[in-house]
Amino acid sequence: MRTNAFLLLICISGPCLAQPNYSECSFFGSQRETYARLALQAMGRKVPESTASALTRQVSSAISKAHRDDTPSFQTKPLPDTIDYFILNGLQAASVAPADKTDDYTFFRRVTLDLTGRIPTPTAVTAFVSDPTPNKRAIYIDSLLASPQWVDKWTMFYGDLLQNNATNTQIQRKNEGRNAFYKYIHDSLAANKPFNKMATELIAAQGQNSFDQTNGQLNYLVGGYVTGGPNQDIFDGQTAMIADQLLGMAHVNCLLCHNGAGHLTTLSLWGGQTTRTQAEQLSAFMAHTWVKEVKIVDPTNPTNNNLYYWSLAAYTTDYALNTTTGNRPARSPIGTIKTLTPIYLFNGGGVPSPGEDYRTALARYVTEDPQFARATVNYIWAHLFQVGIVDPPDQFDPMRLDPNNPPPAPWTLQPSNPALLASLTAHFIASGYDLKALMREITNSETYQLSSLYNGTWDPANQQLFGRKLIRRLWPEEIHDAVAQATGVVPSYNISGFSKDSTTPTVISPGFGNISFAMQFPDVTLVPDGGGVVSQFLDSFLRGDRDANPRKEEGSVLQALDLMNDNFIESRVKVTNVGGLSARNVGQQPAQAVDAMFMAVLSRHPTGDELTASVALLQSGNKGNNLEDLLWTLFNKVDFTFNY
Amino acid sequence: MDGQEKFNAIVAKYPHPTKIHSERPHLSRRTFFQLAGAGITASFLPAKLPASPLITTSGNVTTQNKAKNVIYILLAGAPSHTDTFDLKYISGTTPSTFNPTSINGVMWPMGIMPKLGGMMGDLAIVRSMQAWALVHQLGQTWVQIGRNPAAVLGNISPNIGSVVAIEKEPERTVGQVFPTFLALNSSSGAGPGYFAAEYAPFKVTPATTGLKNTTNSTGQARFSERYDFLHHIDDPLRVDSPLGKPAEDYDNFYQAAQGMMYNSAVNTAFSYSNADAARYGNTSFGNACLVAKQVLAANQGTRYIEITQGGWDMHQNIYQTAQLPTLAGLLDNGLSALISDLKASGAFAETLIVMQGEFGRTVGPLTGAKGRDHYPQQFVMFAGAGVQGGRAIGSTDSLGSATVDPGWSRARDVKPEDVEATIYSAMGIDWTTVRHDDPLGRGFYYVPNSDQDIYGPINELWPSPSASLSGT
Repeated sequence: MRTNAFLLLICISGPCLAQPNYSECSFFGSQRETYARLALQAMGRKVPESTASALTRQVSSAISKAHRDDTPSFQTKPLPDTIDYFILNGLQAASVAPADKTDDYTFFRRVTLDLTGRIPTPTAVTAFVSDPTPNKRAIYIDSLLASPQWVDKWTMFYGDLLQNNATNTQIQRKNEGRNAFYKYIHDSLAANKPFNKMATELIAAQGQNSFDQTNGQLNYLVGGYVTGGPNQDIFDGQTAMIADQLLGMAHVNCLLCHNGAGHLTTLSLWGGQTTRTQAEQLSAFMAHTWVKEVKIVDPTNPTNNNLYYWSLAAYTTDYALNTTTGNRPARSPIGTIKTLTPIYLFNGGGVPSPGEDYRTALARYVTEDPQFARATVNYIWAHLFQVGIVDPPDQFDPMRLDPNNPPPAPWTLQPSNPALLASLTAHFIASGYDLKALMREITNSETYQLSSLYNGTWDPANQQLFGRKLIRRLWPEEIHDAVAQATGVVPSYNISGFSKDSTTPTVISPGFGNISFAMQFPDVTLVPDGGGVVSQFLDSFLRGDRDANPRKEEGSVLQALDLMNDNFIESRVKVTNVGGLSARNVGQQPAQAVDAMFMAVLSRHPTGDELTASVALLQSGNKGNNLEDLLWTLFNKVDFTFNY
Repeated sequence: MDGQEKFNAIVAKYPHPTKIHSERPHLSRRTFFQLAGAGITASFLPAKLPASPLITTSGNVTTQNKAKNVIYILLAGAPSHTDTFDLKYISGTTPSTFNPTSINGVMWPMGIMPKLGGMMGDLAIVRSMQAWALVHQLGQTWVQIGRNPAAVLGNISPNIGSVVAIEKEPERTVGQVFPTFLALNSSSGAGPGYFAAEYAPFKVTPATTGLKNTTNSTGQARFSERYDFLHHIDDPLRVDSPLGKPAEDYDNFYQAAQGMMYNSAVNTAFSYSNADAARYGNTSFGNACLVAKQVLAANQGTRYIEITQGGWDMHQNIYQTAQLPTLAGLLDNGLSALISDLKASGAFAETLIVMQGEFGRTVGPLTGAKGRDHYPQQFVMFAGAGVQGGRAIGSTDSLGSATVDPGWSRARDVKPEDVEATIYSAMGIDWTTVRHDDPLGRGFYYVPNSDQDIYGPINELWPSPSASLSGT
């Protein structure tokens, strides 16, 4: 459908424009970059090089000068139905050569950061690279998956995806609600709970107290609340959230305002044919859910109206087509139909069984839908590879996924490797929706372990063939934790509203104790020090707000100023830190000191040039100062701030 | 309204922007890569864009060229136009404390913005503007990039400030260390799109202590040694690449950062006394206005400053003292002090001030929640850089619900794209410029559809040449 190659006005023409007041399409604000890519894909046009690809090209080529230990990749033919099998097929079909395999040092640092958000210790690095065990990489991956740091990193990841925060533009979970949700995500991952079970608990949550740490999943749907409109706006908001985060289908949000025809026609083959009514029938699963505010009485100040929690109570009416104001265009009867009953929108449809709770039914249909598995797999792939097999990962077009049933020209299949996505999805379902099994499969593949260096000319158009590992800038939490760990100067934060027990009257909400590592923070704003100096240091690396502003990888002058001068790093390089990294090396020979510091910060030995220059630095003048200066330099190196 | 009907017809036929991709002139992929280098830019990617063969203009426009600098104030949340810059007194609704006063024929709420009322002679208020969309995020981005953010090109489109930055790049002199584009209190401001990171808004929250982290704890001498050693050891990772282009952005950030350290111009411009802050109203908005004035006075390369004042999204209890009256007062204090100071230093004549929200608010009686909801009719205010103040351009009906007189030559509602063209024209930038170095290979138009002359500057803001000759 290429009647007009341009994206038509989406969600902003016709009825939407006429509405005086309607919801945030935060979708747009956060998806600007991804929108262009989607539209071009839909038109079958070449996709411009992504940030990740261009970044990789620039930085990794330079890293090659420092340490190159190339081993050719794909030396043995991959077994069928493996990641490498599908990737190699794709590369060969496009006559694109893959990059080499990573050396042990590079692999070790990369996978440790990707799976746990931490850098490895020098001892671990040395042990690994000297280990002759043939399958040592697989063994190491298992140990990472079993570590508590894995839980922390993926709690942060799912905290981002499920948008856990204490305050958002529509509603406040408060610290206690945010903490309960944090605990739910954390404990579910720690138990390696099957992800379909987790999704079921999130969608079908029942309970009367969002602060209750045994029922933290209640806070998921609380976060989908929408102010300034009728209940139907809330049902729509929660539905849009589920469709985006659990099904990778952000277009449902558009369809809850208007038909796809004329709006999504050039974006989504499926979307362009779907109606608002169909989307509202999906939203109708939420119609019995009442996000109800429950006041907490403060005995010391009975007029205090700012204490409350949320419960999910029950309405008895169905989704009514009787709204004229609010955040979305008017909902009017269709002939004699004045209310809508739930009908699942995908996978052949489905309605609640007689007497079945609506959200229980929705959870059942969502988790049984292969799209749920597909979206989950793709979100994780996109994080580990910096671009999804379907990219952007929330723009799935159900009519463009099946190579046995391809869309009509000029539409093209959406996944860059449809067989790969289908295989990963099938494996994920067969494993019981096991997130660790998925990550085990991905990180053990030769594809994941390819170098970010590329021999020959790299064409950015090939990024989704995954013939080369794309690099990424570290999260602010990773930078914080790497600096703390490498220097040995580990902070201890008493995070307000998190570390200590809640003092809200009649609320029992235990605290989580002091926190040392940023990857253990429950939130991305105001932590750990209420917006103070450490928060600002982290904020300059753009951790977002889990609301309208997503986490970003862009750099800035402020980041450079912070890496060079912020007290967080400055205080930790000093030799006055007893037992710290610089202090420990005061008594060492220069070459040993240099090697120790490179290993601690960069997880590798210095190159010949680096060693020579660094030894010369240490030998000229005040040794303590020089050690501090060398350590400062290492934290400002390109290969510290990036995962390559 | 002939102009409006014609415009509506054009836009209905050709949604944003007008020409579909396949009809646009474009470079072949090979040519593009030869001329402009590989890859689109985001933050860490190579900087300098190549010169002229890739940049075209219509060749037949004359810019106003009256402004050296721009201060763009975004009133985030969308202020109620009929309670502020397009005041409509409704008996029984509008609080009497607003003290509606006609100044030069312009109805003004002297009761809540007395200082700006006293400066009406400097302000030109365009009242015939309409927003395209009523979503905060979308609308705020739209006015900052001057086009539809949801369109294909919206993603790669830079902030208007970034376009000004790239255009004024050749005018930077050695020794100037401030970013060309500064954003104060604008942490979610639109970015540089496909332009290199040095044209990105440099985002700062003003503080009395000035710019954070511009000194090193070891002192200037030792920092200098550290910085030299860093380059000695890391330049292989920063300044070499098989493609011939270094990781310039990463190094560019560091160079720019180093240039701002131990720099008295930075300290002077970015820090301020409590007394000065008090003059501007002792608010974060006031502080931003103060720093903006100081940064321009420093003449260190900054040419475009974006300031955001949030809190205008008043769906409930809009007339409660703590709501609109208070926020309008903060705006009044900050902006009036800024204009005063700029006039005192002579900078007002070369600084264009532009101020607007992302849309307007509902008119007439209040809603059930005693507030006002989103609405397309809005205002945009201009001042400085030779703009003829003391008047409104265009007018709305008695309720403020629709334009009755567009007040300018295109005879239709003013759109964000026209405001964009106005800013470029004021800065002497040819708004019909098309850059053919965009990653999609279809041309980036400074103002959408400029080849079809659909949008253009509001020249009526400036006195016509004949008027100035006659001395009026």
